[in-house]
Amino acid sequence: MNHHLTGVAALAIIAGPALAADRGAVLDTYADLAEAGYTDAAETAQALRKAVDALVTNPSEETLMAARTAWLASRAPYQQTEAFRFGNPIVDDWEGKVNAWPLDEGLIDYVDAAYGGPSDENEFAALNVVATPNFTLSGEDVDATEITPELISDVLHEADGIEANVASGYHAIEFLLWGQDLNGHAFGAGDRAWTDYAQGDDCTNGNCDRRADYLVSATDLLVSDLEWMAAQWGEDGAAREALTADETAGIVAILTGMGSLSYGEQAGERMRLGLMLNDPEEEHDCFSDNTHNSHYYDGMGIRNVYLGRYERVDGSVVKGPSVSDLVAEADVELDAELRGKLDTTMEKLGEIKAAAEGGFSYDMMLERGNAEGEALVMGGVNALIDQTRSIERAVALLGLDGVEIEGSDSLDAPGAVFQ
Amino acid sequence: MSRPLTCCIALCASLWSGAGWATPDPVAVVKSEVLPGFETLAEKAQVLEDAAQADCSPDSDALRAAWADAFDAWVRVSHLRFGPAEVADRAFALAFWPDTRNATPKSLQGLIAAEDPVVESVEAFGQVSIAARGFYALEYLLFDPAFAQESHYSCALTRAVARDTSEIAEAIFVDWQTFAQEFDAESDRYRSTEEALQELFKAVTSGLQFTSDTRIGRPMGSFDKPRPTRAEARRSERSIRHVRLSLEATESLALALAADAPKVAAEIREAYEKAFAEIDAQESPIFAGVDNPAGRFRVELLQAAVERVRTVVGAELGPELGVIAGFNSQDGD
Repeated sequence: MNHHLTGVAALAIIAGPALAADRGAVLDTYADLAEAGYTDAAETAQALRKAVDALVTNPSEETLMAARTAWLASRAPYQQTEAFRFGNPIVDDWEGKVNAWPLDEGLIDYVDAAYGGPSDENEFAALNVVATPNFTLSGEDVDATEITPELISDVLHEADGIEANVASGYHAIEFLLWGQDLNGHAFGAGDRAWTDYAQGDDCTNGNCDRRADYLVSATDLLVSDLEWMAAQWGEDGAAREALTADETAGIVAILTGMGSLSYGEQAGERMRLGLMLNDPEEEHDCFSDNTHNSHYYDGMGIRNVYLGRYERVDGSVVKGPSVSDLVAEADVELDAELRGKLDTTMEKLGEIKAAAEGGFSYDMMLERGNAEGEALVMGGVNALIDQTRSIERAVALLGLDGVEIEGSDSLDAPGAVFQ
Repeated sequence: MSRPLTCCIALCASLWSGAGWATPDPVAVVKSEVLPGFETLAEKAQVLEDAAQADCSPDSDALRAAWADAFDAWVRVSHLRFGPAEVADRAFALAFWPDTRNATPKSLQGLIAAEDPVVESVEAFGQVSIAARGFYALEYLLFDPAFAQESHYSCALTRAVARDTSEIAEAIFVDWQTFAQEFDAESDRYRSTEEALQELFKAVTSGLQFTSDTRIGRPMGSFDKPRPTRAEARRSERSIRHVRLSLEATESLALALAADAPKVAAEIREAYEKAFAEIDAQESPIFAGVDNPAGRFRVELLQAAVERVRTVVGAELGPELGVIAGFNSQDGD
């Protein structure tokens, strides 16, 4: 992106020390990071799609394990893109298709008796589409004899207007690969047998062909959704254009994404609430027990955005002028403070990750009276809350340039927390 | 699907900079608008604990009245979810709602089925899931037919929840005595008067947001799918009452912040007056009318009036104080 020097000089006189021209370059970096991140997520999802294909054509313990490994590999780049979600309407409106959580998994497939049936909140909590080719949904007869990506995205997802009816995305696929985690607060993840995909007499739990169709369709959908989002951040993509249309609004979008993910979403909804409810299912990747990684890479995504630097799956690095540079230009101490806090968060989330990898898994940390687990989780929560305060300071600092954000009311329509 | 975008940063324009910003004393505002509310909550919660101790039966008039008074006191401070209320999950334990996972009845059922001895100790009960504690859990125990039956264990559970509620309310009030000083000059927590005022301003905006989106918005659902059973505290028919109490509380705080800006204060007062008029026009205390066109229209008018208050506060009061809305815990989905 070229800036004419005279333009920079003229703006500098009007706008003061924070150079308006720098902002365009910062937005470019951010959009580059988003494009690279969603491309990595899409490519690892394509690898997952291949592994799923191997599983359903040649079901075995090995092919199931390979599919699980591919799913886990795709989570790391995807979670780092969550920092792009809040602040960019294109992402936020789309996100529910790929990463909605928590889910009433009984909508999709068989569940344990203790799961219960339809609830006051959700009539379809135990629908079990895999076993039910025909059913009535909100007064309409549904033909689900063929399980297709369209059936999943257009009919089943958020069926009956209920957000817990998650039919697509990472967590639906996670459930189909791992099954319910029936270990409560004890060690262990979901333990679906590969024979749930065996055809003929070896099939366990019935309808293995329909289960395989569901898994394949859901994975196809994940790949196409991620590819679509990567394209939105490409050179002429809508997300990139929306971001760069107004430089100040773009910077606000970046900081909004950082702050909203840090505080309301990650520290609140995903971490603290689970601890307060002592519920082992209140973990983000509850079937696979991968929550420690999910949290870790979310935190890393926030730091990536601030520093304008992302290390791709292949090890190459995307980087450029960053919000950190903008903040440092105006207040070097605040920049150091915020960078320090982002690092502290990564240390704290790293402690959770290390503990989980050492056998103290995230759902064990949530148990009532488990002081060690509470300390670990709250370490992450407090660090995230603390960094939010510094992000607010950065907003105040960068916002004082004489430009009012138009239409911020439309952005200020949040859903309720802790739903 | 609606996954509303959740940023709530509204940058203040510095076009007004330097001239005419109102700078009320945050310590004085805390003394008049915050401390009395938490003192009342502590007192009423103590009465609740005593009432449960005296008579734990779900249909006890004295117990229900004490619970209602204490719940009123909570709703009046429910927008002040920072500082001492945020410590150790206190506010969450007092008020876990909305409960989209049905966690409150499930957790209570779990305790009752196991006759969990955790009710015997104050300290141990403090470790119980927030879903089984506080005002909303007590509502199930006092008003829900599935729970409001006298048994030895449910009596002990009611007493434990009431006692825990009282402990928490007292702890918040005690901590506020010292926390109030944080609003003075340049404390560690608030680096400037603006940061201290921002915290109070955020309490107004996030309180209004919760009332509009959650207290009113959840039972509204969508036109095709209204959700009257999601109304807050519908078992005790307190839904609309909570809207009124919470608006009274945020109005009082907003006006205290606008004390030096009579024109803004007048606009705020006018917007609130219209909202209260819409409350008076509601026919059902529990939003039962959201599933018929006329009833729904009334609720829509109420929500629009609360949205108007939000707009006035955000667009007029924020710039006047020189603060931004910042982030709050309702960001996210």
